Amino acid sequence: MQIRTPQRRRARIAALAGSIALLAAACGGSDFDDGDDAADDGAEPTGEAPAEGVELTLMGWSSSPAEDDALNAIISSYNEQSENTVQFNPVPEYDTALQAALAGGTPPDVIYIDSNRLPDLVEAGALAPAEGNVEDDGDFYESLRNTFTYDGTFWCPPKDFSTLALVYNVDMFEEAGLEPPTTWEDLAAAAEALTDGDRVGLAIAPEYPRWGVFMFQAGGAVTNEDVTEMAIDSDANREALGYLEELYANGYAATPTDLDAGWAGEAFGQQRAAMTIEGNWIVGAMNNDFPDVNWAVAELPAGPAGQGTFVFTVCYGVPSASQNPEAAWDLVNYLVSPDSLIEFTGQFPVMPGRESLAGDWTDAHPELGPFLSGADYARPFQFVPGFQAVVDTLNDGIQGIAAGNRDVDEVIRQVDEAGQAELGG
Amino acid sequence: MNSLRARFSTNETLAGWTFALPALIGIAVFLILPIAFTFWISFTDWNGLSPPEQAEYVGMQNYRDLLTDPGVQRIDFATGIRNNLYYVLGVVPAQTTIAFALAVIVNQKFLRGRGFFRTAYYFPSITSSIAISIVFLFLFQRSGVINRLISVLLPGDVRLNWLDNADGIIHNILGWVGVDSAPAALADNDFMGLSLWQWLSGPSVTLFSIMILVTWTTIGTMMLIFLAGLQNIPPDVEEAGVVDGTSALQRFWYITVPLMKSPLFFVLTIGLISTWQVFDQIFVISSGGPQKTTLTPAFLVYREGFRNFSMGRATAIAFLLFLLIIVLTIIQRRIIKPERA
Repeated sequence: MQIRTPQRRRARIAALAGSIALLAAACGGSDFDDGDDAADDGAEPTGEAPAEGVELTLMGWSSSPAEDDALNAIISSYNEQSENTVQFNPVPEYDTALQAALAGGTPPDVIYIDSNRLPDLVEAGALAPAEGNVEDDGDFYESLRNTFTYDGTFWCPPKDFSTLALVYNVDMFEEAGLEPPTTWEDLAAAAEALTDGDRVGLAIAPEYPRWGVFMFQAGGAVTNEDVTEMAIDSDANREALGYLEELYANGYAATPTDLDAGWAGEAFGQQRAAMTIEGNWIVGAMNNDFPDVNWAVAELPAGPAGQGTFVFTVCYGVPSASQNPEAAWDLVNYLVSPDSLIEFTGQFPVMPGRESLAGDWTDAHPELGPFLSGADYARPFQFVPGFQAVVDTLNDGIQGIAAGNRDVDEVIRQVDEAGQAELGG
Repeated sequence: MNSLRARFSTNETLAGWTFALPALIGIAVFLILPIAFTFWISFTDWNGLSPPEQAEYVGMQNYRDLLTDPGVQRIDFATGIRNNLYYVLGVVPAQTTIAFALAVIVNQKFLRGRGFFRTAYYFPSITSSIAISIVFLFLFQRSGVINRLISVLLPGDVRLNWLDNADGIIHNILGWVGVDSAPAALADNDFMGLSLWQWLSGPSVTLFSIMILVTWTTIGTMMLIFLAGLQNIPPDVEEAGVVDGTSALQRFWYITVPLMKSPLFFVLTIGLISTWQVFDQIFVISSGGPQKTTLTPAFLVYREGFRNFSMGRATAIAFLLFLLIIVLTIIQRRIIKPERA
């Protein structure tokens, strides 16, 4: 409740601000500048009252007040220039709320879709395809287009994206006379050199969305690209898991809970770890909670098979049961237009999905470039419906490897068995 | 006369139904229909996203996945049952005996500050389980109060990671006496996909911490129920015992305990039901981890229904859990045989 109330209030203030702006625009039109007003209202001859407008709901979640502010500002300007009005409705426990909204048959007009939820929603027939409805969709990064393409159809344009990169403590590196590592060997050496007493070299959460990058860097993956067959049983995966097993066993890497932290970014901020592997979201946490820490970002070190990282992304989707599909796509197009994306990602350290905006983003966040470089080789955290139990089994194994009570071969065998049953059946 | 009586009784029937109707509608809408709907869903592959009428009938498949077909679903369900079984075996006796003892203590007429103690013990029960779970997250951290306290009391610096430790307690104890890997007989035989050695792991350290938490938060309510029961025992029964020359211990065992059979049955029943439904604390503290050692059937319902979008399987788990609770309650009833009031 404490978290929710100020956001609700803010949303209400933003809505109020939006309606005042609308009023001002209407007054402005009749009093001063008729030409401009006509242009705004397009073909609508009467112009004054937004008679044809539709009320749209955008349902999503809130990851920080800063993000809410940035998004609400864009929504206000949409409300100003369009005859439609939009209300942003951030809900806690989003998946559950979305599920209820979709199953109820009258979903919101535009919804956030996390990339790993897309297959479920598509298979359930819950989404309207984006193909033909989104302007200039060739401009989105190919990796993101692929992420939101399922069964050969492009479903929704990316709202923004984040990748994983190596976040390191500059002071600790300088003190040890080290450069940011670029290979696995360097990473292991740096982690060893920076481990000192209560401080470890590397803090990583024991879960597939972090450890998976090492599997990619070794040339492995959980499944084949189409997620039709298991690929976990490979030497590449063994090498990746074995590499991490050794880092943890030697005490050079540790889990966040071992460092008394809720997540790896917190352990890093409290300087109990010299390095961590996290995404763009760590920027806000570092600036707000640990402003005194001198940190920087580097691309993840390359493994035996080259570079690899995860991309985490969310898109704006339109439910197939939307009452106002045209207005909904109009809103989506506004939200993913270059101007809106620049405005949104300029204030907030996530990255715009349009390749043409890479320069603008790097200008706004010069120190965060390595996150953007990851876009070229990043892979999504995405499987097929019903795969959650397999991911949980893999996480279970990863936790065991990190704790030192589970054997890499045993984990691979268990995940393989679990996955064969899900994909085969 | 006859026709009058007939008319009168028709009116009575009508009036009866009319008076009962609001309650019947309420029960039908909020109880019977949802349960019937859920039961039907458990035989479909409904994903919880599309309208339910689009779901396909799959017969017993959801139940087979959980009980007979080898696979990750059956292993997870068995793991959930195992974890919850240890949880129940630990929490129910602990909360019942501690609550009973506390009730007897705060029922003493000569205890000073009775009101304070009654309030203090009841306090955790009226606090949000989520808030308490978050406080426990801090208490049980590696550098938290619990570890510091143990470090002060025992030699050495204890830095146990309570809430992220998958080691089974029985396995740990066996490890101390030298049995640190599974004997062949236990490792090679399995039941529902888990080897007997895994079944005998005991609760993990993390689950054990959650058990402590839950016991601490529930004893207040249980104590209150026992206290009400104790105050219902007429003082003359006790006095008669005193006149007959019994010791205090004899009076406790032969007078108090038998007269407390009804509240005891009640407390055990709610204890049993609520412990098989444990969810909040696990959701906040461990989300089923580490290494699936805090997975419970109730948490699996959530995972399958809302994260894996397998509402059919989730409802099947819910029904199996329901059956399990019914069966256990009946068994418990046979054992205790509460007095009929």
